[in-house]
Amino acid sequence: MKLSRSWLQDYVDLSGITDDDISRAITFLGFEVEQVLRTGAPRFDLVVAGRILTRDKHPNADKLSICTVDVGPAHGGARTIVCGAPNCDAGNHVPVALPGAVLPGDFVIKEAKVRGQASSGMLCSAKELTLAEDSQGLLVLAGEPAPGTPLNELLPPGDVVFDIEITPNRPDALSHLGVARELAAWFKKELRYPAVSFTPAAISADARPDLLAYVRVLAETECPLYTATVVTGVKVGPSPEWLQRRLAAVGLRPINNIVDIGNYVMLEYGQPVHAFDAARLAGAELIVRRAAEGEKITTLDGKAHTLSAGLLVIADAQKPVVIAGVMGSAGAGVTISTTDLVLEVAHFKRQAVRATSKRLGLASDSSYRYERGVDVHSLDEAAHRFIDLILAHTGGRVAGPIHRVGAVAPWEREITVTPAYLNEKLGFEIPAAEMRAALESLELVVTREEPTATRGPAWTFSIPSWRDDLDRPIDLVEEVVRLHGTEKIPTSVITAPGLVGNDDPIVLFNRKVAEAFVGQGFNECVNYTLRPAKEVAAWAPPAQVEALALANPFVEDQSHLRPTLVSGLLASLQLNQARGVAASRLFETGRVFLERNGSLSECVAAAFVIAEETGERSWRPREAADFYTAKRHAASLAALAGIELERQPTALVAAPALGWQTGHAASAGDIRHGWTATFGLVDLAHLKTLGLTGKVYAGFFAIVSEKVEADADRRSYKPFGLHPAALRDLALVVPASTPAAEVQKAVAKHARAAAGQTFALESVELFDLYTGKGVPEAHQSLAYALTFRAPDRTLTDDEVNAAFNRVQADLTAAGFQIRK
Amino acid sequence: MQDQLAALLAKASAELPSLASRPDFEAAKARYVGPNGELTGLMKQMGAVPKEQKPIVGKLVNEAKTALQAHLDAALARLESAELAARLGPAVDPTLPSPDRGPGTHHPLTLVREEMTRILRKVGFTVVEGPEVETEYYCFDALNTPADHPARDAQDTFYLPASARFGNVSKKNPGERYLLRTHTSSVQIRTMLKGTPPIRIVSPGRVYRRDTTDATHSANFHQLECLYVDKNVTVRDLKALLDYIFASLLGKDTKTRFRPHYFGYTEPSFEVDLSATHLPKVNKPWIEIGGCGMVDPVVFQDVGYDPEVWSGYAFGMGLERLAMLLYGIDDIRYFYQNDVRFLRQFA
Repeated sequence: MKLSRSWLQDYVDLSGITDDDISRAITFLGFEVEQVLRTGAPRFDLVVAGRILTRDKHPNADKLSICTVDVGPAHGGARTIVCGAPNCDAGNHVPVALPGAVLPGDFVIKEAKVRGQASSGMLCSAKELTLAEDSQGLLVLAGEPAPGTPLNELLPPGDVVFDIEITPNRPDALSHLGVARELAAWFKKELRYPAVSFTPAAISADARPDLLAYVRVLAETECPLYTATVVTGVKVGPSPEWLQRRLAAVGLRPINNIVDIGNYVMLEYGQPVHAFDAARLAGAELIVRRAAEGEKITTLDGKAHTLSAGLLVIADAQKPVVIAGVMGSAGAGVTISTTDLVLEVAHFKRQAVRATSKRLGLASDSSYRYERGVDVHSLDEAAHRFIDLILAHTGGRVAGPIHRVGAVAPWEREITVTPAYLNEKLGFEIPAAEMRAALESLELVVTREEPTATRGPAWTFSIPSWRDDLDRPIDLVEEVVRLHGTEKIPTSVITAPGLVGNDDPIVLFNRKVAEAFVGQGFNECVNYTLRPAKEVAAWAPPAQVEALALANPFVEDQSHLRPTLVSGLLASLQLNQARGVAASRLFETGRVFLERNGSLSECVAAAFVIAEETGERSWRPREAADFYTAKRHAASLAALAGIELERQPTALVAAPALGWQTGHAASAGDIRHGWTATFGLVDLAHLKTLGLTGKVYAGFFAIVSEKVEADADRRSYKPFGLHPAALRDLALVVPASTPAAEVQKAVAKHARAAAGQTFALESVELFDLYTGKGVPEAHQSLAYALTFRAPDRTLTDDEVNAAFNRVQADLTAAGFQIRK
Repeated sequence: MQDQLAALLAKASAELPSLASRPDFEAAKARYVGPNGELTGLMKQMGAVPKEQKPIVGKLVNEAKTALQAHLDAALARLESAELAARLGPAVDPTLPSPDRGPGTHHPLTLVREEMTRILRKVGFTVVEGPEVETEYYCFDALNTPADHPARDAQDTFYLPASARFGNVSKKNPGERYLLRTHTSSVQIRTMLKGTPPIRIVSPGRVYRRDTTDATHSANFHQLECLYVDKNVTVRDLKALLDYIFASLLGKDTKTRFRPHYFGYTEPSFEVDLSATHLPKVNKPWIEIGGCGMVDPVVFQDVGYDPEVWSGYAFGMGLERLAMLLYGIDDIRYFYQNDVRFLRQFA
């Protein structure tokens, strides 16, 4: 909302208050000042009207003249000024910037010599004074002003425009009067309402039923009050210059006196108004009704609309002439030949206007105000102001009584508060008298003052009708602190008692993942949750892709919720690769959405990628990552959620492997049971479509968000043997298709059994995997180191050998082939 | 005998220091002290020494034996250290770069979030999480946002299709739609419904707006919100929190100021400005950093807290915006591109 300072001045005396102070006041009243604009002429000091007395050629420059200029007795009468303009002819009255003047652009005028000739000032063009974008020669002042007259006195006054944002709770401030009321309260000044002289008693001409016979409202809920006034004998023409200037200052183009006055009243009171050309209404009637499906209207902005059934319109006997609360039709609007008017001032419910405006994609200053909320109780006052101005500036007369259809219940609202309550909510003391004065300055009137038993006086305020936002005692706290000045809220220390709980387990998980992966050389990434359909389809089965789609995506490449974090990390690799930046190890934590038992579940997830080829070279290359690198990191992700991945069944990802390389990626867990982990090589064909060169290993872990648990219980200590261990190596030849985990499990089982009760198997570690000479085709040799230990003594060779023999015999009996 | 011993020692002291390898040493050692060694041979002759000379000769032999052993030990030590040196290779160039990967980096948003939650934890705020997919009730209704409020428009908020089903995001009302939360305030509602006052929480998290992505807007971004519910919480307490947060973050001289504003779920409501003198790339004295206010009684009523008994405040801010201010980052998109040159700057 743009507000003109000179306009505000009509209602509140702001003289002597700087623009900055007004700006600050608006800000601390709770309205953001987006910009402060200056319109019209800036203020010029030491720039006066002068009259050129003589003009002579400059002896040293063809294009320069030497003028003597009368600048008035106060400035020393005639002086010599060198000028380069073609029109510095004797007799012209022109602006003269005297030495000491500062022109726009901080251009300081001094006594100077121009090509050897003294020059005592400067004759100015309109452009030099920023009065025009471009100009030819000097600005010649009309009306032969007396030399020495300050230039500002000869120019239309400039204005300052505050462009401010009005919060949705304050529709009353969508008007000059509303903001003036706030400023009056802030600066402790009086608010001066416009003098409205029209009253319904002062009807000056006979009714003209031929122009408007009646108004009928068929939609009383949406239009609780409608007024129409016939004004005859108007003369359409330009509106007065001051009015035009004000409208132009706040960004409205002056059109004609009727339209301009309508806009003026709207910007003054916040009440939208409308004027019809009475002659262009068919049937001398106005009907507020719902549009029929397919009715057509061309609005004042020249756009044609086809209405759908139910939209609220004002119609004459034949056609809609206004889209209610939004915009009038071109066909019933005022033209240069209009002589008789119907002035509409009406109230429409915000929901109705909003629905219409949204449906048609058509918004206006009027619809904006109705949507925010217009004070129906101020309607008559605005209507009378409208009529007043029309009569004053168009020469018309009011013909017959105002057609007024509908009624609104009188406004009554009271709030009772005690100063003690207000201070309690604030937590600091504002004197009771100050609080009361603040509320009264906003036109809240104390209707009763009653003592309370313990809390001092209780004030009952009547709330003005335009402050529908004030409904409860708490609402008055804000009014009080606003006018006290929120900058003055004292600072203090936090006095709240301790309430320390534990951070959410999800936070702890994310934190631990970040610490662990940063420690392992990974860069943490953050990717968008919304992904393109194509990307999601590469990682989720078709049914799930569909379930992940948003109802109303904004852009095509952000249409689906993500089911994985890996795709985002691959996109990050792509970006780095495209920019020639070496990025190898990336990780991310965040939410993903996975199908689970027939519906989606929001899951907590973490993922990493390791790119093989980054373009980075090293003077001493290290071993490249492989599947087992990914397995290790995936296991640490799971471990941070309290899951021991190594103890979980792990299998190759089954076809279709959706993003993963068949035979080189594995998964464990199942989201149906709460968590899932997948790790290994990213599908090489997919990498190729992404344009990523080299292999990328990745891992992904997700757990249903409510299953993330706080740290496990503290573990208890298990004693460990201090006597020497006995080591034995054992190699088994097994078919290559036998999972190593099964072999290890068998070895451990039999070794544990063989150790019996008197000593124990401490560990089984795979230390060699061999294929080749000595091992049959399609088989492999797995070599394990077995560590035995007794808690209480050194083991003898005999007992260890006996146990080891038994292990071998048992494994052989179980079908394993011992490699000798 | 004495001469023989002297000759032996002379020979050993000449020969042993020049031995080049361990086999040479072992051979030499055998020649001197092995079963058939020279010293062993001389010691065998002790039997033939007359009885009265035995103590003297014995002493000589022992002295020679000790001296010889010293030569041998020295030779061995010399060989061992030569071997060690050979195994170590030449001295390293300590100025060569390590080929091993250094530590990774935390994302700047993580750093800022963690710093904020650390600061808040000191005054008793614990971190809570909530779902990013929300329902209209938790995101709007419970926060006093009327059904026809523009923020709820499909123009501004991402919705899931009516058919969408979420196993672990509960609906309050059967008919309500799923959406992507537009603020983390929904977590306040869930926390209040689940717990009992007093409550002091901070909820950082990802939120979504249907915005055109540009240097300052992003389809998803992150917020951090504080909620405190207790008896007798005042506007002054709220100011104390804001002053504490930003003095902790930016130094004691940092000031905050409140400007009245409007939010549906707080009354009174304020916008918070920060004195920006020590922030990079900021050329105005105050910069807007977040919104706050006293929890509106309507919100308390909705979650079943008696507004006559309980009062509270809430504060919320954007994490990207804070990170941009703290680090002087001028484009929000950098947070989501993950250019490693960007990520490495905040380690």
